Amino acid sequence: MDFLLQSVLNGILAGCIYALFAMGLTLIYGVLNFVNFAHGELIMWGAYFLYLFMEKPFGLPIPLALPPALFLTILLGMGTDQFVFKPLRTANRLTLLIAALGLSFFLRNGAQFFWGAEIRTYGFEIKRGMRFLGVSITLNQIAIILTSILCILFLYLLFHRSRMGKSMRAVSDNLELARVVGIDTKRTIRIAWIIAALLAGVGGILLALDTNLQPGMGLINLVKAFAATLLGGVGNLWGAFWGGILIGLAENLGVLIISPGYKDAIAFGIMVLMLLIRPAVLFGSEESS
Amino acid sequence: MDLFLHLCIMIAIYIIFALSLNLEVGYTGLFNFGHVAFFGIGAYTSALLTLHQVPFEISLLCALAFAGVWGFFLSIPSLRLRGDYFGIATLGFGEIIRMIFQNEVWLTKGPMGLPGIPKPILFSIRFATLPHYLLLVSGFASVTFVILRVILRSPFGRVLRAIREDEVATGALGKNVFRFRVKSFVIGSTFAGLAGTLWAHYITFISPGDFTLLETILVLLIVVMGGKGTEWGPIFGGIVLIFFQESLRFLRLPAEWTRYLAPLQQMIFGGLLVLLMIYRPEGLIRDKGKVGHAGHQRTQ
Repeated sequence: MDFLLQSVLNGILAGCIYALFAMGLTLIYGVLNFVNFAHGELIMWGAYFLYLFMEKPFGLPIPLALPPALFLTILLGMGTDQFVFKPLRTANRLTLLIAALGLSFFLRNGAQFFWGAEIRTYGFEIKRGMRFLGVSITLNQIAIILTSILCILFLYLLFHRSRMGKSMRAVSDNLELARVVGIDTKRTIRIAWIIAALLAGVGGILLALDTNLQPGMGLINLVKAFAATLLGGVGNLWGAFWGGILIGLAENLGVLIISPGYKDAIAFGIMVLMLLIRPAVLFGSEESS
Repeated sequence: MDLFLHLCIMIAIYIIFALSLNLEVGYTGLFNFGHVAFFGIGAYTSALLTLHQVPFEISLLCALAFAGVWGFFLSIPSLRLRGDYFGIATLGFGEIIRMIFQNEVWLTKGPMGLPGIPKPILFSIRFATLPHYLLLVSGFASVTFVILRVILRSPFGRVLRAIREDEVATGALGKNVFRFRVKSFVIGSTFAGLAGTLWAHYITFISPGDFTLLETILVLLIVVMGGKGTEWGPIFGGIVLIFFQESLRFLRLPAEWTRYLAPLQQMIFGGLLVLLMIYRPEGLIRDKGKVGHAGHQRTQ
């Protein structure tokens, strides 16, 4: 029983992180109407940026290393938009996606160039978790949950309680119409990138805190984030959140039944299952293409 | 001389691989970003069968069939998706297949890989030496080229191009778009399986690490650099890129350098893909059918 409860806890923990990825992905999808294949790489670079500032020659403690790391992640996200996606705004979809895939590969190998392919960690000692209702939870994990909740709260306030959020929702509904009624769409797109990159960076750092860093972490998490957005209905921010939680739970409960070697495949399995059972759901926000 | 023969063999194998992707990406407009999966399925199927004393003729056919069947089963759920989603579904599938190679140790020996894959014996000729193998792969490459050319110039191929240009209009003309896409995907997967088989029996050692995103990127780059949706594009792209990739291997650089060179080379591939898409998305060879109004009207 404790075993099951522990799996549920781990599932929610992972789910919170996936939710952050999925929400960033769906945000960019909503505003620019394409799946950013390089989103996984923002996750990975976010984690590595923190690593960069925590190692020599900087050697900063986490609280001090966080701001510059997140700042660089945002810069990277905006840079990819400026230099790759902006010139391709009017290009055909295949061109855009191939460019995004190429960019993703470029960024992934960039990290491998600097840090090598080996698995790294932030160098915390493994601590015994606190016991609580028969499950164990570490301080890191509590921090992960709290940070995710904070991010999600921030997003909620931004989207439903601010002008910026309103214009962002307007842009994702219909970019042309939003422009006609006088919304600064360029600014909105920029802010969408900032938020998406921030979510990716925070999520990547949390994931690396909980597990480890490696250049391949971006791609697999992109697939998970995408599965989560599909589950929640593409372009639906809160759907993406619940999708993320669900994927996290399914992964951690799934390994009780199947081999842990396939843990990363579970999200993909759910995605395929969804497509077979309820393909109609996915075409909800399709008219704008 | 051996180096040159090796280069030619690799180029011929990748040309088959790229031709099969060109059918999907270039002609049908399918965003297949996990083509390496079928290359891997072909390689593993044939390698496992021949290692269990099955004659090459039969294992080759099984490899092709198996790659095609997997293509069929993947395409049924994922082709219901719009372009980008299909892209990510295939991308995910590519990773899953590698996971299967890695985890099903009882079958594939996992990360240890499969050593000692025998050289093919076809019609009681053993293709063991480099010149022999070159003959074999160029034979297969020519056959692939001719078959795909015939397919694409047939009414079937015209429908595929019509789907690429405008799927709604094609559907309105009474063509079952979904079915044509599935067929195109299955044919593409089968030929990718052929390329994988030829590669496995040439290299004679395969492991899960050989079937990563790198292969997908490389073959995609070959197709879009040469010119997607053209007959000669993949051949041209294959010669240029495989020459570049394989020649680095023979420069005999110090071992410490490879730690930096491998990712650097892959960064070049990724960056090249981005730059091509921004500055010359049509590739080096243009698709004549798409230039000007005449071509456009024909497909409508």
